[in-house]
Amino acid sequence: MAIFPPTNKNWWNEPLEKTEIVWIIIAFLWGMVMFFSMIIWHVIGNQNLSNEAYRVKPEVYAERTEAAAEKYKVGEEGDSGIPVVHPPAGGDAYMLARLWEWWPVLELEKGKTYRLHLSSLDWLHGFSMQPTNINIEVHPNYEMILTIAPDKAGIYDIVCNEFCGIGHHTMVGRIHVVEPGGNVNYVNK
Amino acid sequence: MASPENQPDKGERESVPFMQRVMDNPFLLLFLGVAIPGLLYLVWGVVEVANLPIAR
Repeated sequence: MAIFPPTNKNWWNEPLEKTEIVWIIIAFLWGMVMFFSMIIWHVIGNQNLSNEAYRVKPEVYAERTEAAAEKYKVGEEGDSGIPVVHPPAGGDAYMLARLWEWWPVLELEKGKTYRLHLSSLDWLHGFSMQPTNINIEVHPNYEMILTIAPDKAGIYDIVCNEFCGIGHHTMVGRIHVVEPGGNVNYVNK
Repeated sequence: MASPENQPDKGERESVPFMQRVMDNPFLLLFLGVAIPGLLYLVWGVVEVANLPIAR
C-alpha cells in the first residue's frame, strides 16, 4: 500500500507497471498539447493584444483625452450628448474609462490604422468591443495602446466586462467605423 | 511505517539516484514549488510592469 515507504531502498530505478507508464504518458502528452497550444494560439489566434504600454497619471491621461476630443469633435450622440470624436486617420485615438462610461464615442475610418489609447481614471474596467474579440483590461495609471485597423464599417459597441460597481451594467461605449470621407448624422434624441 | 528492512544499512555504499534524492525531500520540493512559479510568474511580472516607461 502506497502509504508505506517502498520496500526497495533505491526505488527510482524499479520498473513501473505497464498501466502506470501508459497513464503517465497520456497525461504528459496532453500536458504538452496544452502547453504548445498556448504558444501556437498566441501566433495564429488573432487576439488583438496590446503590446505597447506606458505608466501615466489618470489626470494627465484625462487631459490628453479631453484635448483630443475637443480638437476632433464632429458631433454629439444620445441622451447624454456624449461627444463623437473623429481622430486623424493613421493617428492616435484616445478613449478613457471611468465610473461608469467609456468616453468619448469614436468615429474611425475603415481601412486606416489607429493607435487606440486606453486608460482608466478610477479602477479596473474591461474593454470589450462587440461583436469582435477585442478584449482588454483597462487599469488606472497604465496607458495601453492597441494598434487597430478597422476593416468593416458599422457600429461597434463597447461593454465593460470587469465588474466595477453598481453602474457596471450601464457602462457602454461606441465606436463608429465609417467609409473614408463618410460620416454619421448624429441626432440627439 | 518504517520497518527494519527499510532503514539504510550502514555498510551499504550503493549511491541513491539523484532524482530519488530530489523526490524524497519534501522540503526541497516545497521550496521548488514556491520558488519556480514565484520567479517565473510573480517576479517576472513585477519587473515587467515596473519597467514600463512613462507616457510621453
